[in-house]
Amino acid sequence: MKGQSFDAIVIGSGITGGWAAKELTEKGLETLVLEAGPLISAADYVEHVPVWEVKFRGMRDRKAELENQPIQRHIGDEWNAKFFVNDRENPYTTPPDQPYLFLRGRHLGGRSVMWGRQSYRWSDLDFEANLKEGIGVDWPIRYKDIEPWYDYVEDFIGVTGQAEGLPQLPDGKFLPPMEMNCAELVMKDAIAKKFPDRRLTIGRTAILTQAHRGRAACHYCGPCARGCITRSYFSSLNSTLPAAEATGKLTLRPYSVVHSLIFDPKTRRISGVRIIDGQSKQPIEFTARIVFLCASTLESARILLNSATPEFSNGLANSSGELGHNLMDHIMGGGATGIIPGHEDRVQIGNRPNGIYVPRFRNIKEKSPGFLRGYGFQGGGSREDWGRGSEMPGFGADFKHTLRQPGPWRFRFAGFGECLSNRDNRLEIDKGKVDAWGIPTLRISHKWRANELALLKDMQVTAAEMLEAAGAKDIVLSSTPSAPGEGIHEMGSARMGRDPKTSVLNAYNQTHDIKNLFVTDGSCMASSACQNPSLTYMALTARACDYAVGQMKRGEL
Amino acid sequence: MERRNVLRLLGSAAVISAFPPDALALFQQAHAQAAQSPGLKAFNPHQDATVIAISEAIIPATDTPGAKAAKVNEFIDLLMGEWYEPADSARFLDGLDDVDKRSRRLFSKDFVDCTVAQQEQLLRALDGEAMTFAKQQSAALLAKKPAPPANFFYTMKKLTLAGYYTSEIGFEKELGKSIIPPSHAGCAPLTAEVNQ
Repeated sequence: MKGQSFDAIVIGSGITGGWAAKELTEKGLETLVLEAGPLISAADYVEHVPVWEVKFRGMRDRKAELENQPIQRHIGDEWNAKFFVNDRENPYTTPPDQPYLFLRGRHLGGRSVMWGRQSYRWSDLDFEANLKEGIGVDWPIRYKDIEPWYDYVEDFIGVTGQAEGLPQLPDGKFLPPMEMNCAELVMKDAIAKKFPDRRLTIGRTAILTQAHRGRAACHYCGPCARGCITRSYFSSLNSTLPAAEATGKLTLRPYSVVHSLIFDPKTRRISGVRIIDGQSKQPIEFTARIVFLCASTLESARILLNSATPEFSNGLANSSGELGHNLMDHIMGGGATGIIPGHEDRVQIGNRPNGIYVPRFRNIKEKSPGFLRGYGFQGGGSREDWGRGSEMPGFGADFKHTLRQPGPWRFRFAGFGECLSNRDNRLEIDKGKVDAWGIPTLRISHKWRANELALLKDMQVTAAEMLEAAGAKDIVLSSTPSAPGEGIHEMGSARMGRDPKTSVLNAYNQTHDIKNLFVTDGSCMASSACQNPSLTYMALTARACDYAVGQMKRGEL
Repeated sequence: MERRNVLRLLGSAAVISAFPPDALALFQQAHAQAAQSPGLKAFNPHQDATVIAISEAIIPATDTPGAKAAKVNEFIDLLMGEWYEPADSARFLDGLDDVDKRSRRLFSKDFVDCTVAQQEQLLRALDGEAMTFAKQQSAALLAKKPAPPANFFYTMKKLTLAGYYTSEIGFEKELGKSIIPPSHAGCAPLTAEVNQ
């Protein structure tokens, strides 16, 4: 069946699809956004549902999850499990020795509804690293190319944070910072005294600390990943999609599972997009002048691999052979926790939906032995709650009244380590296995290599050093690696680069091979840095839209 | 930072291997009977009464209501009926029966029929065993070794706390918390929070 024709089609309504929709419609293009899942709205948000109204009181619907969400049960909670996919409908395979967690949602707004919201800029330390060290390919851009787009995106989404003047973590256009709690203030002072090369700052997060662009300030209820009725954190649903809708140029089509892109060998352009209607399961084709692929690192690569033609027999826009390769994620699991004695007469009030950040300090001025690149720490301080009671002797009135008071201050450092680009971390199509819509699925091969594991070992040492410097007791180290994918920072499957022979995308996220095809989600990344990547995806998307529309206006696209 | 936003009250369910098949059959039989008692999913009325008595002893009514008023027994019954694997529920019910066995040995009557002093004497012994288990479990976790077999009173106490503090009574009346906090501050005097 033939569907309508548009100026632009955006595939995906998540964090980058929402930005592409906003930018393209605001620049005057009639834009179709294809979302694989259902529409959701503020009526689906559950952040204020009290724990006693949830069937298993927050312990999750264990048996239902084992049945339908054996992968997704590693993320989310009993409230927002509905925002994560049914794994039986969305299968994938891995080599037996390489378990991978593909954690995701399929609904309007995608993972921007449940994301972690931490928003950090990259610096030239990150953009230059591949070239300097001969890893992967050189980024075709530098900080000066993306800096105005970071400004532009931050101004729209609203990012709270504290300026620190660090070259490795450029400051942004911040809303007022959130307050640190007592344990964090102790730790900040201890680090400043003992480790001049390290800095503890409050997390930079896409949450409003004051009213901003028609959205209300955060009210500190806490569980952002369940939605936000006051739209105080950034998501496509709360922010970019309403802006796109306001232009009158947006057509939003839910239940549109993209099967493949249609390549016209005569014009060597994408002529349209073939979808399977999620409900009727009928195929439909939509046409457009340009296509923005924003379906996520894994799904965008899957769509391109599934769109192979005689001209591109190993995947569309894949003359380089790099499509699906060089998959990355941040390694987690390294860090330490301890008790900060004292300050028991003070507490944090409210549920601050943010933690602290220790920007990367390894391989900045001095070469760190044993590994390239580095890691940042997230985490923070909190007082223990009633949960400590099951490890405490006693019962009865005194026991109850002890648990009424908060317990000691605990501090936790959790590292996020850079993952080096490696060609053997890759995505392929598993032709023998299809999803609920009959579309061939992914086989994902990703394992941590020596450099990532060396970072993990170092994380626990440096975390423990800082805890010791702050006088912490009962320090416990951790260095159990997360599963690849568990960081939910997957990236790199259609990397940007300077040379069409070794990269899929050019400096503007345009495929080297097909002019009217842009890929702006995490698949474009040539390296992973150690910062949370979504802010960079957004800035690259806005920049690519500006370039694409400029080219169209000049008649070059 | 709550990146995961997971309320990890219990961690994953303890895996029980080599549970006696006859005990499992007994549990399934009991489960079928309990299903006929209105409102109960896993407990028979006597087991329910015992759970009410133990939970109230752990978190009694004081200046605020206790576990019985918060219907902690219904929460534990729901978990045993619908959340745990049948073998784990059977082990818990077995532990509950064992409380009566010990009570009859010591005081010649069921736990629910004991005096408060007798109940406390028995629970102190059970709590001591639970704390020994807690230490073994922590040590095993640190050493990355398998956890020791589940201890009944450790589980009972943990579920009582989970059921109580996630009830409306526990959350609002006992802890004085609200879903939307009236204010926020990083490092405030403790009294401000308790009176919020």
